[in-house]
Amino acid sequence: MRFYPGLTITPTDHRFCVPTATNPVSLRPIIGPIKCPNRVTFSFKKPRATLNGAAATEDKPATAVADLSFYELLGISESGSLMEIKQAYKQLARKYHPDVSPPGRLEEYTKRFIRVQEAYETLSDPTRRAMYDNDMARGVHFAFNARRSYHHRDQVVEHKSEWKSRWQSQLSELKRRSRSKSKDEGKNMSWAARMRQQRNESSDES
Amino acid sequence: MAEPAYTVASDSETTGEEKTYTLPEIAIGIDIGTSQCSIAVWNGSRVELLKNTRNQKIMRSYVTFKDDIPSGGVSSQLSHEGELLSGATVFNMKRLIGRVDTDPVVHASKNLPFLVQTLDIGVRPFIAALVNNMWRSTTPEEVLAIFLVELRALAEAQLKRPIRNVVLTIPVSFSRFQLTRIERACAMAGLHVLRLMPEPTAVALLYAQHQQQASHENMGSGSEKIALIFNMGAGYCDVAVTATAGGVSQIKALARSTIGGEDLLQNMMRHLLPDSENIFKSHGVKEIESMALLRVATQDAIHRLSSDNNVQVDVDLGNGVKISKVVDREEFEEVNRSVFEKCESLIIQCLQDARVEVEDVNDVIIVGGCSYIPRVKNLVTNICKVKELYKGMNPLEAAVCGAAVEGAVASGINDPFGNLDLLTIQATPLAIGIRADGNNFVPVIPRNTTMPARKELVFTTVHDNQTEALILVYEGEGNKAEENHLLGYFKIMGIPAAPKGVPEINVCMDIDAANVLRVLAGVVMPGSRQPAVPVMEVRMPTVEDGHGWCAEALNRNYGATLDLVTIQKKA
Repeated sequence: MRFYPGLTITPTDHRFCVPTATNPVSLRPIIGPIKCPNRVTFSFKKPRATLNGAAATEDKPATAVADLSFYELLGISESGSLMEIKQAYKQLARKYHPDVSPPGRLEEYTKRFIRVQEAYETLSDPTRRAMYDNDMARGVHFAFNARRSYHHRDQVVEHKSEWKSRWQSQLSELKRRSRSKSKDEGKNMSWAARMRQQRNESSDES
Repeated sequence: MAEPAYTVASDSETTGEEKTYTLPEIAIGIDIGTSQCSIAVWNGSRVELLKNTRNQKIMRSYVTFKDDIPSGGVSSQLSHEGELLSGATVFNMKRLIGRVDTDPVVHASKNLPFLVQTLDIGVRPFIAALVNNMWRSTTPEEVLAIFLVELRALAEAQLKRPIRNVVLTIPVSFSRFQLTRIERACAMAGLHVLRLMPEPTAVALLYAQHQQQASHENMGSGSEKIALIFNMGAGYCDVAVTATAGGVSQIKALARSTIGGEDLLQNMMRHLLPDSENIFKSHGVKEIESMALLRVATQDAIHRLSSDNNVQVDVDLGNGVKISKVVDREEFEEVNRSVFEKCESLIIQCLQDARVEVEDVNDVIIVGGCSYIPRVKNLVTNICKVKELYKGMNPLEAAVCGAAVEGAVASGINDPFGNLDLLTIQATPLAIGIRADGNNFVPVIPRNTTMPARKELVFTTVHDNQTEALILVYEGEGNKAEENHLLGYFKIMGIPAAPKGVPEINVCMDIDAANVLRVLAGVVMPGSRQPAVPVMEVRMPTVEDGHGWCAEALNRNYGATLDLVTIQKKA
C-alpha cells in the first residue's frame, strides 16, 4: 500500500487542488510549500460551503497554520520532551477540537485539529520524529500537506519490534490455548510457567 | 404519572420540529444494555440517576407483549421471572439490532424463549412474541423504541420538562449500520441523538472528571494518567485504553467482541442440559416454558457462583426432564474457558494497539454486569499486573453516568467548579475501507484512528481499458471483504481508456466532527492536472436492510470486471 506524498488536504480550494508544480518526489529540497503534484486531492470544503467568497477569508488563519512546522504548530521547542508534546497536544485539543468549536466554525476547527493531531502523531513517535527532524535539518521544509510519508503507521519501521513480538507471542499463546482444548502436557502448568518454558525453548534454539 | 404514549411519534428518520426552550436543554444520558438499562442527568452539580416508580435505578431491558399494548421493564414489573415463560416477553434486542440472519450472533439467539427465525439469506431475522397463542412479529428497533418511550416518560415526569436530546452509550462493536438502527429507534421514540458514545469511552470521560476533581483538590500537576477500562455486559465485551490529562480523555485504543454474559449463560445451559438446543427446537408453548425455566435457573446459579463456591441447581423443566445438580465455580469457569480467553486476548490486543506497557497503566477499571464474576476480575488484574482495581465507580452505573456528563458537556453547560471542563478525543472502533486486490478488505481509515479523520488511498484498474470501477465500502477487521459490514457501494464511470494500472483512482474517507462518514472517489490520469470525471461523494451507510446479499449480487453480476487494486510501491 502506498501513500503519495503529494496527497493533500487543501484548505483553500474546494474539491480539487490544481497543482502548480510537478515534483512528485517529496525529498527534493524545496523551500516553501509543495503543491500537490498531479494528484487528485480533496479539500474539507463541501460544495455548499464554498458557494461564495466568504470561505476564502475564513480559510486565512488555517493557511497560515499550514506553513508552520510541527514544533511551531504545537508551540514547543525542537528539543521539547515527550511530556511537553503530550501536554501541548492536549492543550491544543481543548482549543481546537470540533467539540469546543463555536457554532459556524466547525470545519475550520476540524481542519486545525487534524493538523494538530498529525503533528502530535509524528512528534510523539521517536522514529517518525527522527525522520521529521532529519528532513528539517536538511532544509526540507514541507508544506503541512506534503508530510504524509511520516504519518502512516504501516510504513514506519517498527523499532519496538521486540516489544511487539512479545505481545504477539502472548496473543498466539492464547490462540494456541483455545485451539488445544485437550488435556495435554501443559495442563498442570500455569500460563506464565508455560510462557517461560516457551521463551527458554526459543532462546535455546537461537 | 401521565399515560405513556406507546405509539410511534414519527415514522420518519428525524422527528419534526419541537418547541424551542429558553434554557439550554441538558441532554440526558441513557445506557440501554442487553439486559439492563438506566437513565441519568447532570443536575447542576453532579450526575443523578433517575429512578422508576418502583425506586429502581437499574431497570430490566425487556418488553412484554400482552393483548395490544406492549409494556417494558421501566414501567411494569414482571410479576415473577415466570412471565418470561409465556413467550410474550422479548429481550436481548441490543444483540440483534441491525444484524442479518446469517450473523452468528443471531443464530446464538435462537434458543431465547421467544421466536428468532432465520432464513440464512442475509435479511432481517423474524422476531416474534407469543401473544394469545399467536406469534406477533416485532423488530429490535420497535422493542428499543418502546423502551425509550418509557424512559423518556420517566425522565419527563421527574424533570418536569420535555426531553428531546440524548446521549446514548453503544457497544464498541456496533457497525455504522447498527448505529443508524439505534438512531432510528430513538427517532421512533421522539428522541434526538446528540452523541452515540462507545460504552468504555463514556466510562473514560467519567474517569477524566474524577481525575480533574482530584487534581483541583490536591492542586496537583495533573500529569497524564493511563487507564484501562474493561466493560463486559450481557451482550458485549469492550476494552479501552485512555490517556487522561487536564480533563482531556484521549482514547488511545479500543477492542471489542460480541461475547458477554449471555454466552456464559448459554454455555452453562448447554452444560446443564446438553441436548437443550434440540429439545427446544420446535418452539412450542411447552418448549418455551422449559427453555425459560432453564434460563432462569441457570442465571440464578451464575449469580450465586459469584459469592459461593458451589450451588445446587434444581429445576423441573416439565415433560419428565428434571435437573438436579451441584455446580461449582471451577466447573463454571471450565465450561466458559473460551469466553474468558477471548476477554484476555482483547485486553492484550488493546494494550498493544495503544502502544502502552502494562507497567504504565495507572488505573484499571472494570464495569458492566460481568464485573462481579470472580474469574473476570482475576483475569483483568492478572494481565494488568495490578492488585487493586480502581475504586469509586459503580460498575453498573459508570457508563450511564459518563453519558450524562457528556450530555451536559455537549449541551454547552458550564460548571462554576470546572467539573464539565472535559473533552473526549474519540478513536474509530473499526477500520473502514474498500474491497480491492481481489476479494480483500483494504482499510483506508485504520482502526483506532483519532476522529475527526480524513485519509486517502490511491487505487488503480486491473484490466486494460477498464472504464468503470465499483467501490464497495466495508467496515470491520476481517481480511476478506465479506467478513466485514458492507456500508455502501457506488460505481465510478468514464475512466479514460488506458492500460491497466495507469488511471489513478483516489478514494478518500472523511469522518467529520459529527461522526458522519463521507466517501469520495475521483479519477486522475498521469500527466493531467484535472480529474477525468466529476468526483463522487457519498454519505455512508447507504445500505438498508438485506445488506448481506448485496455484495453477493454485485459479484454475480460483475465478477471481477470492475475491480481495483492498490497501487504498489515502486521500487
